Amino acid sequence: MEPILIILWVVVGGLLASLGAHLLPVGGAPAAMGTATGIATGTVQIMLGAAMTGLFTAASAATFTDSLLLVALSGAIGATVMICVVMLMANILYTFGCGIVPVSGRVDVDPLTKEPQAPYKTPQTDGHGVPNCVYVSGMLGGFVGGFGGALMYFALLNYADFTAGTAAIGSLSIFVPNAIIAAYNIRGTIEGFHDPKFKRLPFAMVTSLVVSLLCGILVVIASYLTVGGTM
Amino acid sequence: MTVTPAVVEEEPTKKGLSFKLPLDETEMGLVAGIVAAIVVVFTGLPAVIKGIALILAFLWGMDSVRKTSKYGLGTGVPSIGVLATGFGVVGALVGLALAKYGGIDGVAYPAVLIGVILMGVIGLVSGILSNNEKVIAMKIPRLERAMMELGMAGTLIILLECSIVTGSLNFDAVVNQVMNTGLIAFMFIFTCFGLLHPYNACLGPDENRERTRMVAVEIAGLICAFLGFAMIILSSFSWELGSIVSVTISSPWKLWNGVSLLIFGVAVWAYFFRMFIKACMDEAYETVGTGMIKTIE
Repeated sequence: MEPILIILWVVVGGLLASLGAHLLPVGGAPAAMGTATGIATGTVQIMLGAAMTGLFTAASAATFTDSLLLVALSGAIGATVMICVVMLMANILYTFGCGIVPVSGRVDVDPLTKEPQAPYKTPQTDGHGVPNCVYVSGMLGGFVGGFGGALMYFALLNYADFTAGTAAIGSLSIFVPNAIIAAYNIRGTIEGFHDPKFKRLPFAMVTSLVVSLLCGILVVIASYLTVGGTM
Repeated sequence: MTVTPAVVEEEPTKKGLSFKLPLDETEMGLVAGIVAAIVVVFTGLPAVIKGIALILAFLWGMDSVRKTSKYGLGTGVPSIGVLATGFGVVGALVGLALAKYGGIDGVAYPAVLIGVILMGVIGLVSGILSNNEKVIAMKIPRLERAMMELGMAGTLIILLECSIVTGSLNFDAVVNQVMNTGLIAFMFIFTCFGLLHPYNACLGPDENRERTRMVAVEIAGLICAFLGFAMIILSSFSWELGSIVSVTISSPWKLWNGVSLLIFGVAVWAYFFRMFIKACMDEAYETVGTGMIKTIE
């Protein structure tokens, strides 16, 4: 029972969740019609799916190791694999199903590969599919988000001394408000780190800091009252 | 010479709503909050009464989701329901940890309400930050109050569900029967859907509160049926860390409680589902059958 470490890792996890939500390619309803870049659903669903997969892999790793880095990294890898598979399937569906090329709507030249984007974009739309820079950004988002979720899981499991089930649902429940507040900050769709909306990140970070700090204090109270120990 | 009669304009008969709960949003919040708080304190009550309190709490949460989402969140209605459940689980953990203070074991746990109040404070803080011009600036009227209510309603719902399944609010009992069996994962998702689905399904130009509330009651009934089923399972097996050790009925009180809750839930679901479909048919301009799909000749 180490209250400072619990609060520290919960706050870091919350901030990483918020950052991860900003990096993901969220297409929302327009992407479902192929008229916006990204995966065709909201931030919450994508982030919840990635975080849950990350928690599964982190929980499996936590059964045989006490290393914080190993547990957090395995959570990050789980979330990255999940989000990569989703983005790949989205690309396959858009390319072979709708016959449109993955192209970014927010930039004229891909910031990573320097490929031209504007000539391939259908007029009146906001891009299609998941192009290269967006794919890299989504990978980073999944990695960062999964890392944050697994950090919280580790803190709740080993420092707050909860059982595995309680730690998993507790970390998921702290992760979710942070990701959703980030989603409200984004307002709909975002492509990744090259999107102009990414500049709004500090606002979500401030809110996320406050909310996860309060949640961390509540976890410390719960852990102190149930497990006991010295503060 | 035959005169074709003038077409008589048929007076559209105004079909009134078949279902009306005579409470507006604030009254609903007060009634549901007080009833759910009283029921959650006394854990010895029969499961059906807890089920009724659960339905009221869902109605309260649905109202908060509805009045927030009306203005357009930008991320869809589901986000706010998931937020409420996330807050609810954290609040329920704190409430359960506090439960042992000042209570009578197995009968009353007044200290759990501190968890509800603490979650109300966190909801209020996140609402203020989300609505503040200088931070996220969502510009939704009364978002602060709605987020506070969502935090409190979510916590009450999770606590009521734990209390229904466990029969007490002892932290160890809840951890053994709800968390370690994995039931909490189902509760999380079902509570999310109970809060977000009514408005998410009904929203549109002709959305009205009475019809949306029917869906909320209907889903709460389904959740009651599911919890009753879980109680039957938990009463007939003795679980030790996930492995079935024996198949003896260890608690007949819990078994009959579960059966009664299952019957209650299915009855509520069937009644309100029928009522909802009827209300949709009544309020639609016209309902016509399209028949089978026709092939082009």
